Amino acid sequence: MASRVLVVAALVFLVVLPGCPGRKKGPGAAGGEGAGLEERGVDTAGSLERYKAGEKLAGDSGPLKDVHFAFDSYELDDEARAVLRENANWLLDHPREKVEIEGHCDERGTVEYNLALGAKRARAVKDYLVSLGVAADRMTTISYGEELPLCTEHNEECWARNRRAHFVLLGD
Amino acid sequence: MNTWNRVGLALAGVLFFWVGAGDAQVRGTIFGPGSRSYPIAVSPLRNLSEGAVGRELGARFADILERDLVISGYFKIVDRATHIEQPQTSGTDAETINFDSWAVLGALALVKGTFQLEGDMLAVEVKLFDVAQRRQLTGRRYRGSVDLLRRMAHRFADEIMLQFTGERGPFDSRIAFVSNRDGRFKEVYVMSLDGGDLQQVTKAQSITVSPSWSPDTRYLLYTSYKRGNPDLFLLDVVSGRELVLSRRGGLNLGGRFSPDGSTIAMTLEEGANSEIVLLDRTGDLVKQLTEHWAIDVSPSWSPDGRQIAFCSNRSGTPQIYIMNADGTWVRRITYEGDYNTAPAWSPKGDRIAFVRRYEGGFNIFTIRPDGTDAKQLTQAAGNNEDPSWSPDGRYIVFSSNRTGRKKLYVMDASGVTQVQLTQGGGDDTSPAWSRWLE
Repeated sequence: MASRVLVVAALVFLVVLPGCPGRKKGPGAAGGEGAGLEERGVDTAGSLERYKAGEKLAGDSGPLKDVHFAFDSYELDDEARAVLRENANWLLDHPREKVEIEGHCDERGTVEYNLALGAKRARAVKDYLVSLGVAADRMTTISYGEELPLCTEHNEECWARNRRAHFVLLGD
Repeated sequence: MNTWNRVGLALAGVLFFWVGAGDAQVRGTIFGPGSRSYPIAVSPLRNLSEGAVGRELGARFADILERDLVISGYFKIVDRATHIEQPQTSGTDAETINFDSWAVLGALALVKGTFQLEGDMLAVEVKLFDVAQRRQLTGRRYRGSVDLLRRMAHRFADEIMLQFTGERGPFDSRIAFVSNRDGRFKEVYVMSLDGGDLQQVTKAQSITVSPSWSPDTRYLLYTSYKRGNPDLFLLDVVSGRELVLSRRGGLNLGGRFSPDGSTIAMTLEEGANSEIVLLDRTGDLVKQLTEHWAIDVSPSWSPDGRQIAFCSNRSGTPQIYIMNADGTWVRRITYEGDYNTAPAWSPKGDRIAFVRRYEGGFNIFTIRPDGTDAKQLTQAAGNNEDPSWSPDGRYIVFSSNRTGRKKLYVMDASGVTQVQLTQGGGDDTSPAWSRWLE
């Protein structure tokens, strides 16, 4: 009940303060302000579920975009922070949604080190979202290291795509 | 398939030994590994049985033995097509062998013997001869189920190496590894060094990584996502029983038994950070060893169980460190390169293998535990990773994608001989070399 009030309040807020910087609807949301109908594509199956089902792994298919990292790093650069601010906005607009943050690495380096690195990436993302006001208990993290890549070519372009944190909506 | 049980019954209780006299003279004439220069002839075993069943076993024994001797890097095999003496029409002891017919082929050593198959039971008697001196160096009798033929050949290969190098060879052991050869899922497989006795031991249909052996070769530890989270599992290879040893939140990674089998070092992520801890065999936490914001992974025990090498990026980049087994006295041992991971401590204790990223490729190096004398072992392009030592400490099995897919290779501890072990489809990674089978 309280969350429904919050949603309404948020929508009202958006109507009243259209010029507020940084507060815009997440991509994919349709309908006018206060119309009460929202539509979006969501990514509700995590990478491991998709992999087990033989499906293609998802990149940026939902309202929450992937963020990418430099090699052997879990630092968030400016671009990553910008993406996460948008993701945070969406999460704050949809306060009942829970999300799992997956940490991934490219294929180079040791399996074990990459599992730990993926965990660091997922936690770094979670910590930043917490600092933006998203409640910590809405977010879980998991690392898949180099085990679930989006692509398998042995070049920098593919490696850069694989060094990511990916969001999975778990529903509410 | 309880191969190991049958081994325990058959080989442990019913093995007869006798050793030739004066074998010490032969040692010292062998060149180093990689020379592939000591010419040895392996004659197929003579069939003492009447019937046609099992006739090929004598040749198969010789095939397996020859392959092991090639992998060892010490020997050159005299081509079987040039053999003058044939198994069924020649003798198998020093008095009855025509040594001249082997000397003329250039053979300096000779293997000859007999086998007898009665139902399912196989009896093998096999001997090693010095051709020039016309005398027996060593011999063995093996008796067991016919399934154990391969192990008998591996045991004799180890014995031949003992005779010529003074140290027992590594062939009667197992290699566990991860592969997706049978589908898209990475599962754990077990095989002998020559690729035989291949067996899939997990069917998690999920992601499974980082297998390692118990010192008694009975159990495997590995991390699997079959329950959704990366949990640490313990598999009894003999009974097939699997239980989850650690399912704490976050990573439960890289379990490694201490040399005395009492403790398991592993990485836990519980809380905020990956740390190396010790568990007992029931999965209870004994001690947390590292306490640092950095990534700490991949523990590897020294053979005396007193120290642990591991990988940490506490200096800013992943490097190899050593600490006492109680977590005290942490010191860094790699200072060259910006990416050094996957330490593996040799059973001899004198060197630690690891992986270094160097000019874009990943290669295997070894270094002394005091951080000196780093040596590069692999030179190939691409990724050469996951080193694991043989039980005798003279060989390293590793994974390489030098020909495209990741396959397992074995090399000697100086990197001279590099032999491809696995073939076929998929990627083979994370090899773990067991101790000698009981």
